[in-house]
Formats: sequence, structure tokens, C-alpha cells
Amino acid sequence: MTQGILLYAHNNRTVDYALMSVIAGGLAKKNLQVPVSLITDASTIAWMKESNIFNQAETVFDHIIVVDRPTTDNQRRLHDGQTGQMIPFINTNRSTAYDLTPYDRTLLIDSDFFILSNSLGEYWNVDADVMLGSAINDIYDDSRVGYLDRHVSDTGVKMYWATTVMFSKNANAKLFFDTVNYVKENYSQFADVFRFDCRQFRNDIAFSVAKHILDGYQQDDVLSLPPVLSALDKDILHGVNGNTLTFLVDHKLTNSYCAAAISNIDIHIMNKQSVIRNKQALLELI
Amino acid sequence: MDQQLKQALDFANYQQTFSIQKKVLKERMSAKLTYGFNGGLFRIDRTLLTFVDMLCAKDRTSGVILLDANENPVLVDDLEEFRDEIFRRYFEVTNEYFEQHQKIKKSRSVEKLISQ
Repeated sequence: MTQGILLYAHNNRTVDYALMSVIAGGLAKKNLQVPVSLITDASTIAWMKESNIFNQAETVFDHIIVVDRPTTDNQRRLHDGQTGQMIPFINTNRSTAYDLTPYDRTLLIDSDFFILSNSLGEYWNVDADVMLGSAINDIYDDSRVGYLDRHVSDTGVKMYWATTVMFSKNANAKLFFDTVNYVKENYSQFADVFRFDCRQFRNDIAFSVAKHILDGYQQDDVLSLPPVLSALDKDILHGVNGNTLTFLVDHKLTNSYCAAAISNIDIHIMNKQSVIRNKQALLELI
Repeated sequence: MDQQLKQALDFANYQQTFSIQKKVLKERMSAKLTYGFNGGLFRIDRTLLTFVDMLCAKDRTSGVILLDANENPVLVDDLEEFRDEIFRRYFEVTNEYFEQHQKIKKSRSVEKLISQ
């Protein structure tokens, strides 16, 4: 049975997801010792060549799968510490992971999820067709995690985090991804039923709703991936020193920062610009 | 700024970082104590260690069914091998936990805390 990691990268004018996917893919390959593949589009590849990371991408990724760039007007506000801006968010094709993955057992990760340990390796052989990240785990503490980080809406179902998804190539997983796609294509109707805000498409919501439906409309926490340790976009990746990543953590979300450092643990870094600023040191880790 | 207030604020900053470092260390150790085996997922804790050791002491060592962290039944063909593996992992992780925890406790500044 083949095992591997899958990432998506579709650049926009602000965030270099291609670069982030090379870093995330390289770290995942190094720490989990499995092959990594990338799903991307022609314009992102053109940028990778122009910015001289394509050669590195070819050494990190076993397969670079080129698909049509999804058309979406999805926008989201992304912070870089204290500043923030609206950026286009091209993320609507995750439901194609089942069809595109070259592996029998796939770990699908976001390009801002950095695998710095081998912990997820314990999950390859778990007897579950699809597993999602069970929750967010804030690097600071639960005080920064709101109700809408745990639920799809004020009255909706539990939110799982599609930052990490592990699935097998079988009929049940296919049904799951077909359902994710169905939720995506009927997003506003499902928003009426599950009472979530449909103005911005979120994979976390589409995956959570699909899981809820396929679990028989009930919450089933059994067999999930571990909570996703996350540094929010108001936090700043300050530096990389050896294997240690240092952060400035906006502990009260009021622009008052304290320091933190992590090593040998997987982390979701939502402040993408701070990742880009540390690209050289991060690339040296892979 | 009043010196006393500055000291208090510095200490508050130190405590914030100290708390994060402790939390992250605990998370790291918790992740390392998760053991995937034969389709199941076990949390290596004192309950599992004691139960498995007790079964071995009673010569229940082959073809044993254990309930994993999700209460799913998992077949363990060779329980002694399983016991040795979970004990090895447990002591490896707790020894590392102790060492790292000592380092954090002894670090009296933010700079030292984040350089561990």
C-alpha cells in the first residue's frame, strides 16, 4: 500500500503558496519519510520557475499534478501581525483530492501546516477511511479560540479542521469527497440548513458538514486526527534557529505580544507573510 | 516607568512565555505517547501500561484483544512484544519530558526560555 502526502498550491498576487508548499512538502517528506505530491496550476508553476524554486520543487515533490486554476471570487482577510488585508483565496478544489492523489493512503495538508515531527506517522495504519483534524489547538491557550472556531455556526455542528485530512483510496472515502463536493456546489443551501455564513467558502465547513451527514447526522469524534496546533495570523513567526521556530504571540489579540518557541511538533502557521519572510531559514530545514 | 511596575510587567511577560513553553512541551509529549498498532490507536498511559503488564503476568500473552483509545477492539498477537514497545516509548518520552521540563523551570528569562 502506497502512502504519501498531498498539498495544493494556487498562488494569488499576495501570497506565494507555491513557496509555502515547497517548505511544507519538504518538511513533511523529511519528518514522515514518505513521498509528497503537489496539485497546482500552470500560472503557479510559471511563477515557481520565475522565482527559481521550481528546481527545488522537483526535488521535493514526486508528482507535480497540474490542474485548471479554480475560478472563485472567494476573499478573506489575512493578518500579518497587526496589519491585515483582503486577499483572494483560491481553495475550492480540495474535494478533487480523492481523484488526484497518487497514493492508496493520503495525508492531505494545507501549505501552511509544517510537519516538524513524525507524530502523524502513527495514523497511517489506523482503521479509518477518512480522518480530519479534530479541532484547533491554539499555541497560546483556549482563551483565543472562539465558538465559531469549534462550530460551523452559532447553532451549527462541530467544526473539524481540514488543515489535516487522512484518507484511503476506497469507496467510503470516495463517498466522503463526493459529499464534500456536493456541499461545496450547494454551499448556500447548506448554509441555510447549518446556519453558517456562506459569503466565504471554507473547506473546514464543507468537510465538517460532509462528515456530519455521513456520520448519520450525529457527532462522532471517534477516529480523528489530533487537534491542529496553530499560531494565528495575528501571531508572527519571528525567526528560525536550527530546528526551533520562535514566535511573537499576540496573547490577548490586542497587539500585545509575548515570545514563544517550538521544535519537534507540527504547527499550522496562519501568518503566511511571516513564513515568507523566513523562507531561507525554513528552506534550510528541509 | 516606575521600576517596580516595569519588573512586574517583565515578570508577566516571562510568565506568558513560560506557560506557552510548558503547554507546547506537554502537547509534544502527548503526541509521542500516541501509538498506532494493527489498525488501532493507543494512548500510552499508566492505565494501559498496568493493564498490559498485568495480562502478561497472568500469561495472557498471545491473541489478546485490547480496546484502543477509541474503544475499538484490536488484536495483539504477541502481547509481550507490545508491552516492551509501550514501556520503551513511555520511558523514552517521560525521560525527555523530565529533561525539557527541568530546563524550562531553570530558565529565568524569556531569552533562555525560547532558546531551549
